[in-house]
Amino acid sequence: MKKNITFFTLLVVLTISAQSKYETGMQKAFDLWKNNKTTEASQLFERITNAKKTEWLPPYYVATIEIITSFGLKDGAILDNKLKKAQQFLDKASTISPNNPEITITQALLNTAYIAFDGQKYGMTLSVKNNSLYQEALKMAPNNPRVILSKAEWDMGSAQFFGQSIEPYCKDVQKTIPLFEKEKLPQFYPSNGINRAKEVLKKCKKQ
Amino acid sequence: MKQLFSLFTFLLMSIYSFSQVTIKGKITDAKGNPIEGANIYLDGTYDGASSNADGNFSFSTSEKGAQTLIASFISFENFVKTDNVENFKTLVIKLREDVNTLDAVVINAGSFDAGEKSRAVALKPLDIVTTANALGDVAGALQTLPGTSANEEDGRLFVRGGDAEETQVFIDGIRVFSPFLPTGNNLPTRGRFSPFLFKGMTFSTGGYSAEYGQALSGILALNTINEPDQEKTDLQFMTVGLGVGNTQIWGKNSFSINTSYINLAPYQWAFPDKNNWLKPYETGSGEMVFRHRTKNDGLLKLYGAYSYTNFDLIQEDINFDNGFRFALKNNNIYFNGSYKQRLNNGWSISGGLGYTHDNSKINIQEDRITNAENSAHFKVKLKKRFSSRLKLSFGSEYFITNFNEDFHQISGNSFNNKFDNNIFASFAETDFFFSKKLAAKAGIRLENSEITNEFTISPRLSLAYKSGKNSQFSFAYGRFYQNPKNDYLKFADNLTSENTSHYILNYQYVKDKQIFRTEAFYKPYNNLVKYDGAFASPLSNYNNSGSGFAKGLEVFWRDGKNIKNIEYWTSYSYLDTERDYKNYPTSARPNFASKHNLSVVGKYWLESWKTQLGISYSFASGRTYTNPNIGGFLNQETKNYNSVSINAAYLISQQKILYFSVNNVLGTQNVFGYNYKNQPNTNGVFDRQAITPNANRFFFIGFFWTISDNKKDNQLNNL
Repeated sequence: MKKNITFFTLLVVLTISAQSKYETGMQKAFDLWKNNKTTEASQLFERITNAKKTEWLPPYYVATIEIITSFGLKDGAILDNKLKKAQQFLDKASTISPNNPEITITQALLNTAYIAFDGQKYGMTLSVKNNSLYQEALKMAPNNPRVILSKAEWDMGSAQFFGQSIEPYCKDVQKTIPLFEKEKLPQFYPSNGINRAKEVLKKCKKQ
Repeated sequence: MKQLFSLFTFLLMSIYSFSQVTIKGKITDAKGNPIEGANIYLDGTYDGASSNADGNFSFSTSEKGAQTLIASFISFENFVKTDNVENFKTLVIKLREDVNTLDAVVINAGSFDAGEKSRAVALKPLDIVTTANALGDVAGALQTLPGTSANEEDGRLFVRGGDAEETQVFIDGIRVFSPFLPTGNNLPTRGRFSPFLFKGMTFSTGGYSAEYGQALSGILALNTINEPDQEKTDLQFMTVGLGVGNTQIWGKNSFSINTSYINLAPYQWAFPDKNNWLKPYETGSGEMVFRHRTKNDGLLKLYGAYSYTNFDLIQEDINFDNGFRFALKNNNIYFNGSYKQRLNNGWSISGGLGYTHDNSKINIQEDRITNAENSAHFKVKLKKRFSSRLKLSFGSEYFITNFNEDFHQISGNSFNNKFDNNIFASFAETDFFFSKKLAAKAGIRLENSEITNEFTISPRLSLAYKSGKNSQFSFAYGRFYQNPKNDYLKFADNLTSENTSHYILNYQYVKDKQIFRTEAFYKPYNNLVKYDGAFASPLSNYNNSGSGFAKGLEVFWRDGKNIKNIEYWTSYSYLDTERDYKNYPTSARPNFASKHNLSVVGKYWLESWKTQLGISYSFASGRTYTNPNIGGFLNQETKNYNSVSINAAYLISQQKILYFSVNNVLGTQNVFGYNYKNQPNTNGVFDRQAITPNANRFFFIGFFWTISDNKKDNQLNNL
């Protein structure tokens, strides 16, 4: 019995220390990111991904950082390398957490990075894909403000392209503000977006 | 108990805090240049660091014993080393470049890729449908690339001095035996397949892989879409007919169908051409694809197509006072099934089968011909990926063709001609990257043909060397065999295969949406079929004593960068070729081969009108013809060919498109050759008739409407 208790205690101690190690690691990565050390942040997320194979957030953030930093790149080879890496980590994340709307909209963002680089080459196939990705995400999480916002922004893009009013989508963006405000999320969960929503709303008012 | 617990706590603390090891080192590329920003870490731990500008790194870890150290950096292969952590105290790491990146050398002599996956895209997916003179036809769009000749009266692909039957078409790796719709003399044809069931294609004008055989000049490999993105219905209303398409998706399955009916009667009523149409051109076609992804990620595709063609016309002919009648009814069924599956340890398997049944009823003047062809293709291919630097593929295939033709003359005579043409082939090929700058592909193809009773060996080799950041040189060599065409095999049983070799040298420069490439080639032909008589008939004598050559130089330039909203490309091909084949009395340049071909295509996106405007210009220097009034064979040349086509696609809304195009808008009077009268007139001169297009201009207006849930998709990709 004693032995059992000892063993159990040991197990608990080890688990707690491992758990907190994950938290410290993630916290450290976020701090690096906040201080514009994106490479270091991405690399730490990558290490956490390999060490903690049950969490979808670390690979999700590796992908997110690669995608965000690929916008505006001129060299197709570098862009492709970064987005390939992002895809690889996004796939990891969705294997751990299938049917996750946050991953779905990030996949759409990845496609958008390709379209932004060369619309002629990627636009035809990937924009159709994005339409269905956003639809899928909205079906999974109709009240997720990040899903609503990113879908609305995508729809605004195509409406502007066809010279149509972006008005109907502004209402969707307006809807996200209270949703953002009352959102209660687990630690390290993607929670960004409210500032972006406010910026988009400013654009709406100008119209 | 308490003591024991403290002891454990103490032990744990000591693991975590006391035995730290510092890992230090320097990381460089193969040449010794430091790499900044590489990620060096112990696998499965949080311990690691980034290298600094000098390539130095350092971090401490409390891990013990055997650990795996990984160093990774984008566009380099990972460095992996397992050892006792104590041995990682001073490391010197050299990373090898990853050869699977966009800036690595690519083996591409002779071939053009269209699709988003390839690295240097000469044609983008949208180009097939927005190139002004192509009218949504794949072959039409490919004719704007170098290495092809503009033979407007035919419509098929003539590659580098080869005639149209020397280019084979494949769908998902399986041969399409009759890829083009049948037409009459001087009536251009179109591909049977609609472009939008495909996601990418490779068009090779020479030096292609050992996987492909029975093609002396070129191959066109099309891949169908793996998984459609959404359910939708497409409607097409055109001046020449109607089209309907639908896509359904359920679970891991999807099904697409696309049908069309074309009838040129209203068009010919509005714009009569010079022919007398007894039955205007009518064709109905349907294609469907079923796709299923299996539990273990295998992919099954079943593609089926049916088409029906019917027309009857009388064409002016200088040798027939009442004109020359030609009528045709054709049915064609094509089925293609393929399966792809990844296996363990880098192996993958793919295979499939294709089957074609084609039958025609033809009336030539008062004579009747009925023929039927049944062909099948079975193929299996294995691939092994040893590393990103070494890949091997090999496989086998079997082709069966059975042909049967009945010929009934008005005189009451009838003939029956038939043959079986079965070929067994095996191929093996390896791709090897020596470095990111130098790569080779070497293969061999073995074929055993029953009808010619021949065993042939075709070696293939390609090399590519990257000479600078944006430029590379490639070289390709290959030997190619092809059995004589049906037109000869049905009359002769003593023939062997025709053969050629390709020597290709290519230079390519790619930068920022700009591509420049130039290619020089040389091809000697041997064992070409010769016969006697005015045309190939059962009475002719056949042999393989023909020969020929083709050599040339081609230049391609595409630019989507320098001018805003404008994308354009231009191709120039110089071709020097002569053949002594068919019933040629001597070696001469065939009628279909022009010395100079030039093509310019431009597209302009007019933002404020939501309209894409396109223009294309083709030029071909004169074609040879025989003038019996002076001595010699193919002794004269026609005037140059010129054609300007324009088109416009107007996006009415996201799902409605209005499309408009005019081919040969300037109405240039082009001449493809001359027909001479069989007998001289009273002055002893042979009169002649120019072979010209049936109509100088061709107008097309279409309205394309897509209905889908998300109201976004449109048919811009079908146009």
